[in-house]
Amino acid sequence: MKTNIYLLFSFLLIFSSCQKEDEVQLLNIVSERFDNLYAPQNGGVDQRTGQFSPISGEFTKFNFSTGQVTNSDTDWDVAFRATDIIVNGGTSLGTIDEPSRNGSAAVYIANGTMAAITSVDLQSLSQDADSGYAIPPGGGNGWYTYQGPPVNLISPTPGKILVFRTNDGKYAKMEILSYYKNAPDSPDAYTDESKYYTFNYVYQPNEGELGF
Amino acid sequence: MRQLSNLPLPVKLISNQEITKSNSSRLSDILDDQSGIFIVSDFGGGNGIQVQGLDSQYTLLLIDGSPIIGRQSGTLDLDRISIGNIEQIEIIKGSSSSLYGTDAIGGVVNLITTMTNDSISADISYKFSSFNTNDLSINIGKILNKGHNLNLYFNSFNSEGYDLNDNPVLNTVEPYKSYTAFLRHNFKKNKWSFFSSSRIYNENQDFTLDLNSYGRNIINESSVNTSINFQNNESHKFVFENYYTNYKNDEEYDLNQNSIDESFFDQSLFKSELRSIFKNDVKNTLTIGLGFYSETLKRNNFYKDKVSQNSFNYFVQYEGFIFKNTNYIFGARYDQYDEYESEFSPRFAIRTQINDNISSKISIGKGFKTPDFRQLYFNFSNSNSGYSVIGFNAAKEIIYNLQSLGQISNLIISEEEFSGNLKPESSISFNLGFNIKTYKNIIFDLNFFRNQIQNLIDYKIIATKLNGQSIFSYYNLNKVYTQGIELNTAFSLLNDLKINFGYQYLEAKDNEAKNQIKKGEVFARLTPNSPAFQIKPKDYYGLYNRSRHNLNLKISYVTKNNFEVYFKSKYRSKYGISDTNGNNLLDDFDEFVDSNLLSDMSISKKYKNYNLTFGVDNLFDYTDPVNIPNYPGRIIYSKLNIKL
Repeated sequence: MKTNIYLLFSFLLIFSSCQKEDEVQLLNIVSERFDNLYAPQNGGVDQRTGQFSPISGEFTKFNFSTGQVTNSDTDWDVAFRATDIIVNGGTSLGTIDEPSRNGSAAVYIANGTMAAITSVDLQSLSQDADSGYAIPPGGGNGWYTYQGPPVNLISPTPGKILVFRTNDGKYAKMEILSYYKNAPDSPDAYTDESKYYTFNYVYQPNEGELGF
Repeated sequence: MRQLSNLPLPVKLISNQEITKSNSSRLSDILDDQSGIFIVSDFGGGNGIQVQGLDSQYTLLLIDGSPIIGRQSGTLDLDRISIGNIEQIEIIKGSSSSLYGTDAIGGVVNLITTMTNDSISADISYKFSSFNTNDLSINIGKILNKGHNLNLYFNSFNSEGYDLNDNPVLNTVEPYKSYTAFLRHNFKKNKWSFFSSSRIYNENQDFTLDLNSYGRNIINESSVNTSINFQNNESHKFVFENYYTNYKNDEEYDLNQNSIDESFFDQSLFKSELRSIFKNDVKNTLTIGLGFYSETLKRNNFYKDKVSQNSFNYFVQYEGFIFKNTNYIFGARYDQYDEYESEFSPRFAIRTQINDNISSKISIGKGFKTPDFRQLYFNFSNSNSGYSVIGFNAAKEIIYNLQSLGQISNLIISEEEFSGNLKPESSISFNLGFNIKTYKNIIFDLNFFRNQIQNLIDYKIIATKLNGQSIFSYYNLNKVYTQGIELNTAFSLLNDLKINFGYQYLEAKDNEAKNQIKKGEVFARLTPNSPAFQIKPKDYYGLYNRSRHNLNLKISYVTKNNFEVYFKSKYRSKYGISDTNGNNLLDDFDEFVDSNLLSDMSISKKYKNYNLTFGVDNLFDYTDPVNIPNYPGRIIYSKLNIKL
């Protein structure tokens, strides 16, 4: 062997600043796109030094009914920290800076296009637990695929639709489009800033309605 | 040594003349010239063989019938093997575990070393090529009185390496040097014949990590091979073989001149085999035998200081004739392991000479590969990295311990999945071949193949720790198959113009991925801003690093005044090395490595005992630094050979 095999795995961390977009709320079914939800974390592997430190940092919380990022401890449905996605329902894993759950949110991953997922399968919903998140972490397990060296890209897996019950018992579906700032057509893990979620979502604001 | 060409198996023989003519220095060079064989470099820098669409780790490499070891990450680096003392290379394609046991899934490559026919002979070659590469080979053979035959081989190879990237500090391949020494002794007396050989290999490489960090990599290999042959009577003999080999790799880093990091890999194999061979007439042969393997490994980042494994095997093979025109082999082998299920590997193969011009070969066989020590005991984890990789056997305890310490945040696999043993990967291989002689002695060799592999071992994230670190482990994940057609033809146009042409069509796919696509569960998206769509079965390209088409052309021409011109060309169609659109498989909407055509040419002139060659490899200077770092670009060389 002429170089070291452990170079095989390398992960990404790029730190950057935050940006928000205005909400749009409709009386009927809401179908929107949210650009550049910034979900930083502290720690992990620093790409420049290669040093690992324990992961910490606030999750960026999102509320479907307002269509906005929120700082509320209770009125949030889903939250993001780097590639981890949690819901406001179930039990905290107890990672550093992880919020406690106080709603009834739940989630599952459906296979299909956004348009093809037309109703919620209640049986599939699950909540975060002390043994693991409802959306499993790791490339190829949950919402994204990690493409190793030399490109080291994180790509949302096409056809993975996150179907949510919100913290107050309503339903929504989400398709993550990009993990890089401004959703570039051909992202480059070395130049594009990561941890910027761009996603489409559809929110059903009416109590008890399962269809989208 | 066994004669392989008459076996009813897909066998390819490469003669010493072809090795010489190709001016190859290392085993990777000459194998790369063969149709249906690809040399694929892994991220660790090793150049491994791909046969019938199967990776290096599924191919067994033997010298005089005994296996070469030292697959640090699965790939056996063929650049380690110099071929200046190789009389013949035998390649058996398809699974052959019925005779060779583990690793013989994609095929077996056996190198037969030279034995002199003269009372004394010497053969010296020196090749100088681009990147200041020096390759010196010396072969000395002597037949002594009383039936002793001695052969000594020495090779020295060094290169300045090359640089294809823009980084001013890092080189693509750093300078390195290597030495090979090989001594072979044969002795015959009455009913006894003895064979022994020993081989030593040393490789040194210094490298730079960044401005202030340096490293050294040293490989040391040694092996001793012995065989005692006792001809009991005309129809019965015993063969008793013993083989010991050791492979050591030490790597040292000076990080910023104050801290030193070391890694080591020290593997040994002892193999003993007793065969009893009955030949009741010229045509029918029965071989029964038993063998013993003992393998040990010490390496850093391991769950145990030293791991070892012993196994016994028992085999039987019957070669016979039915009718006048049909010969067959029935073979079976049983390998007994402590750590995993024992393996039974049968094979049946039959060859029929249909008429003077056409013969057919059919073979069906099982192959297997036991999990390697890395897949069982690896324990790589350090505070500098955001992940750990642990072997399957180590995972049980490591995960349990971390759980009881409350350090596991997400357990992605269930504990039951780790309760049993990792299963050996196994294959069923099918080959159907025709050999057709046509007008003017043009020969066509056609072979259809299919290998179905199950319990393929792969790694994936099994858990994440509270601090966010991911833990990877190995387990039986996939079923894959490879299938295709290989065609070879050879003919002479004029007396002095010989042409060889080869083609392989290959499909290599994951059965599960194929099913998922059929069920409509796999999607693709061209850009983040365009909608996702379902991909169709025809969009699935298959496994990474596999080209559908491979063409191979060799032309040699001898002029009247004894100049020999040799031209060869190899085409490989596009292939993927990673999934670029996030759906975890390679489809038509991913980015591919472009197809490429490499051509080499050489002219040599023989004068008495001297042979002088001038040549150019990679005539059109093709490079692809990102995807194919093992292509250095155009290489110009000259070579002088002296036979005494």
